[in-house]
Amino acid sequence: MKSLNRREFMKSTVGAAAGLTVLSQHRAHAAGEKIIMGVMGLGGRGTYLAEKFAQRPDVEIAYLSDPNTRRFARAREVVEEAQDKRPKMVQDFRKILDDGSVDVLINATPDHWHGLGTIMACQAGKDVFVEKPLAHNIWEGRKMVEAARKYKRVVQVGMQSRTSPYTWKAKEYIQSGKMGDIYLVRVFNMMRHSKQKETPNQPIPEGFDYDMWCGPAPKLPYNPSRRWLNQWEYSCGPIAGDAVHQLDLARYLMDDIPYPETVAHAGGVNALRDGRETPDTQLATFEYGRLTLLMEAALWTPYIKKIPGNIRDSDRFPNWPFCSTRVEILGTEGFMYYGRHGGGWQAYDAKGELVRSEYGRQADKEHQDNFIDCIRTRKKPNADVEIGHQTVLLCHIANISYRVGNLKLKFDPQTETFTNCEKANQYLKREYRKPWVVPDNV
Amino acid sequence: MTLRKLLLSFVFVVLCSRSSYSQWLEISNVKLRREPTELAGPKIMIEYDINDPNISPESPAYVFVRYSRDSGKNWQLIPMDSLRGNGFDIVEKPGHKEIVWWGTSQTSFADANQVEVHVRGIAMARIPAGKFVMKSLPGAGRDESKEISPDPDLPLFYMAKNETTISMYTDYLNEFGGEVAGWNPRMAREKRCGIVRNDDGTYSIKPGRENYPVTYVSWYDATNFLQWCGLRLQTEAEWEKALRGGLYLDGDALKKKPNPMPERRYPWGNESPGTDGVFRCNFDTEDDGFPYSSPVGSFEKFGSPYGVSDLAGNVAEWTIDWYSTSYHAGLDGFRMVRGGSWMAVPAACDAITGATQLPLKESSIMGFRAVKEPGK
Repeated sequence: MKSLNRREFMKSTVGAAAGLTVLSQHRAHAAGEKIIMGVMGLGGRGTYLAEKFAQRPDVEIAYLSDPNTRRFARAREVVEEAQDKRPKMVQDFRKILDDGSVDVLINATPDHWHGLGTIMACQAGKDVFVEKPLAHNIWEGRKMVEAARKYKRVVQVGMQSRTSPYTWKAKEYIQSGKMGDIYLVRVFNMMRHSKQKETPNQPIPEGFDYDMWCGPAPKLPYNPSRRWLNQWEYSCGPIAGDAVHQLDLARYLMDDIPYPETVAHAGGVNALRDGRETPDTQLATFEYGRLTLLMEAALWTPYIKKIPGNIRDSDRFPNWPFCSTRVEILGTEGFMYYGRHGGGWQAYDAKGELVRSEYGRQADKEHQDNFIDCIRTRKKPNADVEIGHQTVLLCHIANISYRVGNLKLKFDPQTETFTNCEKANQYLKREYRKPWVVPDNV
Repeated sequence: MTLRKLLLSFVFVVLCSRSSYSQWLEISNVKLRREPTELAGPKIMIEYDINDPNISPESPAYVFVRYSRDSGKNWQLIPMDSLRGNGFDIVEKPGHKEIVWWGTSQTSFADANQVEVHVRGIAMARIPAGKFVMKSLPGAGRDESKEISPDPDLPLFYMAKNETTISMYTDYLNEFGGEVAGWNPRMAREKRCGIVRNDDGTYSIKPGRENYPVTYVSWYDATNFLQWCGLRLQTEAEWEKALRGGLYLDGDALKKKPNPMPERRYPWGNESPGTDGVFRCNFDTEDDGFPYSSPVGSFEKFGSPYGVSDLAGNVAEWTIDWYSTSYHAGLDGFRMVRGGSWMAVPAACDAITGATQLPLKESSIMGFRAVKEPGK
């Protein structure tokens, strides 16, 4: 923690980090040359991504990073098993950015670190694979797009379902007009979460850089019972964190519709009244001219399940009414069930007859392949940062509608602001804790 | 041979103990004898000697018997409720033991000459009933759906003093045999495990690896092994109590030995594992003498208040507990793993460290140990 870069950084803000723009930015990546990666965030998803990328012959995981050293062993073990080479273990992800030999940062942190971690990586000349939801707030998402474009970085978002061939076929089917005009798309995201407990604050455990973990967010007293996912300071909410996949699929199936004109939210913290801030029940209506997108989500419906493991990647379909991650497309001439997680899709005609079925396969590997390809070709990836921004924006505006009292809000796509509620605009951007500040000019 | 003739015959079979496999307790002079009874059906007497002087009520042996009725081709565990005598289940004194195996369905052998038994013993620690301090962090992976009492209490249980060894597991593999046993090719890696599958379907141990903890075992592998022994995995609460000790080390029934450090961070106290150049467990340093795992019990003198070794480091250990905080990931089958490992930083060898793993995970830093509930 004594590196020159850190001291320089602490003096100012992340804006200074633009000076880190480096050497790897223009590195050629010839076919066969290994791409060197560092991983930021060693929870379940970060460890999974570290393992999967390490298993590739064209990738080396050089760094694993997490403020909590208790997470080191599990991630290091899977990487060593995969690539037979020990990665460097660091608590401070800036050591990854400082290393000019590193090409890529994998950002699998909690939501509040997605934006700044990605922007700093772009400034340091790294390509980025960032987990969904792309950004903690709308303003930050736009800054991520700006950083990616300014530094000519490939930024792929972990919304892998749009890389599945069965998804492409579904879009093709819908866009062919066989379902008539589409006026309604319904997105579901039903889960079961348990209540969080209320326990006293605790001392910060040894080996955990809690200040680093909080980063741009307030440094609240340490309380492991308070789940970050349920707090606005760290999260977009557990529903947003998962529904963003189906919302992205809905947008993709509808040819990447950009911005809704209005949003109206209903719901709140109804079932899990345990001190959480983020809602457990969310019904959001997004109006795109004559197309309406509905999101129906809750955290207290155990009977509606995600697609079971024995159906994912199989020649079977889920039990649609009880499939928690489905998208329904309603046209004037037909109807479609679409299932995330390789659940496939089935289309019905105006008489309600089944007319087309496609089994599904998940596409995590294909999504990673696409990222690697784009690193070499410098093309935009399937889930480019702009796509990630426009998708998570739906979660944000639904949340903001809730936070201002479930008001119907009008949204201006040019300025990415609300036009009928000044209070709502207060939630477009967070207050950043110094020195972890996203600058206006990235 | 008719059943009556069988009942009247005396059969002596000298059977091997399993002491050739490290970490089974040494059991010798195993004999099996059929005794006739006039009215109660066939009765088998199993005799053996267990002479480990460390066996005591606080450090008993868990003894179980497996038998084959076809000259060692197929084996079964003798249910504890079919046994009587002083030498099975929890055995609290060393010496000569006699077990009565009583059950017509099991002991009516067509050919008694083909009957074999294997008697095996595991060193256990007695964890008396009583309250303890549970401090594991929800953020570190505790199953938050459980009702963790603010004043937790556990009944009496017994925990294996050591992690399950490569030799114990290989013994199990060889009794099972074939390709379906819980072996995978990574187990052959000498530095991280060291069990080789031979062309004839048997399993052998890389020289010198007998006493190291078995690794690359899935949760299912661990569970199957323990069921084979008549045991089960530990719960998180049991692991944590075994590490810190209860509020009273002799249990709440006696309350004569207050635990001087009921909130200790490590089994030995609060010093970090490598403080002052003294290495108290196997963590991520080669200075402790072990670049990978270490033979079980290598840090015995830094064991828990009950004499349980390697809870802090060496290999992390599967527990029976689910992790079900959320279905967020769509995968509701995670199991909890507790404790540090040879790859862990010192802080991760403490009493609150845990991780979630899918039960099929096979890792070089994960093993398991056994727990026995009395009467089950």
